[in-house]
Amino acid sequence: MEPILNIENLSKAYGNIPNQTKALNGITFQVMAGEFLGIMGSSGSGKSTLLNCIATVIKPSGGSIVMEGEKLNSLSGKALADYRGKKVGYLFQNFELLDNLTGRENILLPTSLHSVPEKESQEQLCHLAEYLEITDVLDKFPAQMSGGQRQRVAAARAMILHPRIILADEPTGALDSKNAKNIMEKLSGLNRDEQATILMVTHDCNAASFCKRILFIQDGVIFHELRRGDLTQNDFYEHILKVMAQLGGGSSNVL
Amino acid sequence: MFSDLILRNSRRSRKENGLFFSSLVVSIVAFYIILSISNQDVMIFLKKMESDAVNKLMLLIPVFYVMTLVILLFLIYFASNYQLQRRRHEFGVYLMMGMRRSKLFSMLLAEDFVSSVFALAIGLPVAVLLSEIISLTTAKMVGMGIIGHKFTLSLPAVLFTVIGFLTIKLLAFLILSGTISRQEIGTLLSDTPDSIKKQKPAFVYGIAGVCGIVMLVTAYAMAICGLAWQEDKLMLITMLLGMIGTILLFYGMRVLIAAVVKNSKGNKKLHVFNFRQIQENVIRQSTSIAISSLLILAALCFFGAGIGISGTSSLKRDHVLDYTFRDYSDIAPHEVLPKIQKVIKENGLENHFSQLLSMGIGQIRTTDEYEDVFTMDTVIDTIEQQPKSQTKEIILDNLSYTDRPYLIRLSDYNKLLELAGRQKVELRENEAAVYMDPQYTNGEQTALLNKILADHPQASLDGSTIYLTGEVQSTKLVTDRSITLSFALILPDEQFSYYTQDKYSVYINGVLNKETVGKIGLMNAISAMNVHLDALNLSELHLEYESFLQNMGRQLFFSVAASYITSYLAIIFLVVSNTILGVQFLMSQRRTGRRYRTLVRLGASYETLCRSARKQINWFMGLPVFVAAVGSLFGVKALYAGILSVEIRNMQGKMLVVSGATILLLLVVEYIYMTVVKRSSDKYLLTLIEPQREE
Repeated sequence: MEPILNIENLSKAYGNIPNQTKALNGITFQVMAGEFLGIMGSSGSGKSTLLNCIATVIKPSGGSIVMEGEKLNSLSGKALADYRGKKVGYLFQNFELLDNLTGRENILLPTSLHSVPEKESQEQLCHLAEYLEITDVLDKFPAQMSGGQRQRVAAARAMILHPRIILADEPTGALDSKNAKNIMEKLSGLNRDEQATILMVTHDCNAASFCKRILFIQDGVIFHELRRGDLTQNDFYEHILKVMAQLGGGSSNVL
Repeated sequence: MFSDLILRNSRRSRKENGLFFSSLVVSIVAFYIILSISNQDVMIFLKKMESDAVNKLMLLIPVFYVMTLVILLFLIYFASNYQLQRRRHEFGVYLMMGMRRSKLFSMLLAEDFVSSVFALAIGLPVAVLLSEIISLTTAKMVGMGIIGHKFTLSLPAVLFTVIGFLTIKLLAFLILSGTISRQEIGTLLSDTPDSIKKQKPAFVYGIAGVCGIVMLVTAYAMAICGLAWQEDKLMLITMLLGMIGTILLFYGMRVLIAAVVKNSKGNKKLHVFNFRQIQENVIRQSTSIAISSLLILAALCFFGAGIGISGTSSLKRDHVLDYTFRDYSDIAPHEVLPKIQKVIKENGLENHFSQLLSMGIGQIRTTDEYEDVFTMDTVIDTIEQQPKSQTKEIILDNLSYTDRPYLIRLSDYNKLLELAGRQKVELRENEAAVYMDPQYTNGEQTALLNKILADHPQASLDGSTIYLTGEVQSTKLVTDRSITLSFALILPDEQFSYYTQDKYSVYINGVLNKETVGKIGLMNAISAMNVHLDALNLSELHLEYESFLQNMGRQLFFSVAASYITSYLAIIFLVVSNTILGVQFLMSQRRTGRRYRTLVRLGASYETLCRSARKQINWFMGLPVFVAAVGSLFGVKALYAGILSVEIRNMQGKMLVVSGATILLLLVVEYIYMTVVKRSSDKYLLTLIEPQREE
């Protein structure tokens, strides 16, 4: 199978030479079409930097990101904006819905930004709204929705333009456990039924247990990889917990 | 360390809110200029001859001063409020680190003071320079010449500018910092929750909007038809209707914008987003937008009235004669001119006058009757048949005092017409022309009378039949106020001699040498001649004179005072309203900066964001300006109906020009302001493009 996203030796450094911090220090991995990949790591491990590099919000200092055969650092202007809008769907930790727009208007925002005729997106909107169970909040403002509904509206917004990959940055970070479970079920459903490719950054082991594969990052490098394979979700969760414990320094640091 | 922090913070405030800072500078300039008005060359000059009027104006200045202080307080309070709200978090951190509230308070006070000093340091020199330029320009424009100009620095004006400015800044600061420093650290540290105001059902806003429009229409109707000007109470009602109407209109405007959002066809770039943003701004600040709109309207009306008063002044139109001499000894009428010529020649002044002409004006002396010596029933009857109107009432009233009119000698009057470059009056033996001083008639009335006179109506003068003919004559008979006739008859010389029995007054009108006038300016030429004449001791010769200077001075005073004060108020109002709008937009843009950041994540380019923000600015600032501009079309008309002289009121064409000119001026000002706001919006958006780590 062709990888949809190919990341090679990616590095990103902040600051100037004497005080330089390497947020990413040579990361290489691939994302296959239809995959549900999780990236875990503690705070400051560089996972958000990685996601931002893929979303082209920041420029990496070295290495390359290739999306469907196209090198991201060669993109500029309209191609770059199109990439952000059409190839990538972004799901934020804080939903980032515009609070002065209704649910429907929020979901259609990317279509308006990229001048896609509204008719074309109407069908996708109905479909997504039905699947994500947000049909009755479409005409409400974010302030009138629950946290879970808001994140599902945000998910619909990320999906509206049929992106090749969804980048989810701690999508459950601002949700209680019930809503977190619900949105993760929806995401994995989208992955399963619609072959949506999802790249999710999280440090919530529960959420991570929905993934098919998990990369653990520490100090800017990939430290470990877990595949779910045939494991049940519960068993996978146990595995993740173990790795996370090691990530925290393992028992060696305590002794 | 502490003083460093103060300097740095105040520099940052000035930079971040450059619009507000420059408005402060502009208002300082305006303050100084209005306060130093008595130092202007024109005013110094006018004080010599119209000291009463000038002094009355000077008494008014403090009123304007205090009024603008209040309006500026509104602006400063408003803009500083935003500035302080934005720094809440910073204040919270200072307090967390153990800064005492009194220290925070004094730090903010010091920052504020530093900014004020900067504003004064820039504003005052600019003001002094500008006031000199204005002084020189007006002096040149009115023909005073600028040779005698002395640089003046009005210390009281500087003092009052500084005191007034610092006082309102301090006042605004005290009110604001009081509320800030009373809050708990926790509330300061947490971001102010963006509470969305509770919305009422749409029809409430709809009704409010409709009521607003109805009230506005009523107010303008009352003002234009003149009802509002009849009584103070009605004026108050009109003003209240207008103000509340505007506020309601903006309050209800959200429905209109919502409708635009809903019915937008197609999927233009960020169309929905833009209108939701505008809607939010209008919802949040409908009252202050309405007030800004009213201020702009007021500014427009002031400009309109100012241009109207100064632009239509009859100074140029009426000026034919420079001097009028009068003899009050008992010599025969035909001896007056030679006597004055002799006096002038003897004193070596004959080169200064290019012409001396006599004007014979007398009363009917063929009868001792006082009533019905002159009647013109046909004319009166025709007027009475006209449809009811104000013009008709006024004419009838004026013509009821024409029982025994003054008589004017035709040949003298024709000489005057020749000098003024107007067509001569031709009269046959039994004909007479009607003379009315321009003060007593206006375009509409003259037109009506001309129509009637075209039929050669019959009239009776001391029993004999005469026919009135020609058009109503209104060329001023003397240079100023030696004689003013509301109604007189111009008679052929023979008839004039007969009816006056050769006992009449003669006014000798003089025109100064064009060369001298061209060289040193009319005002200076007349002033110099007055010095000569005053030295001659004319009263011993039973002579007196008046010059055009008095006439000119009076008119000049009115137009200078009117244009000074109206443009002063207009500038202040425009500055205040535009600054409020601009600051409001920029601050709300900062408050909602997160949204723009989200848009970037969704794939919006910098250009898209700038375009979106620019569109919002166009709408946000354009709405109140548009409402004000529409209002000004009626407002200027209402002003003309109410306060301007009858003469100007009838110049419909001119009025249109005035309205057009003010709106054009407004467009220029608005364009400048919008560009400034757009620039700073672009600058701010650029900072959002760079990602920030938020954890």
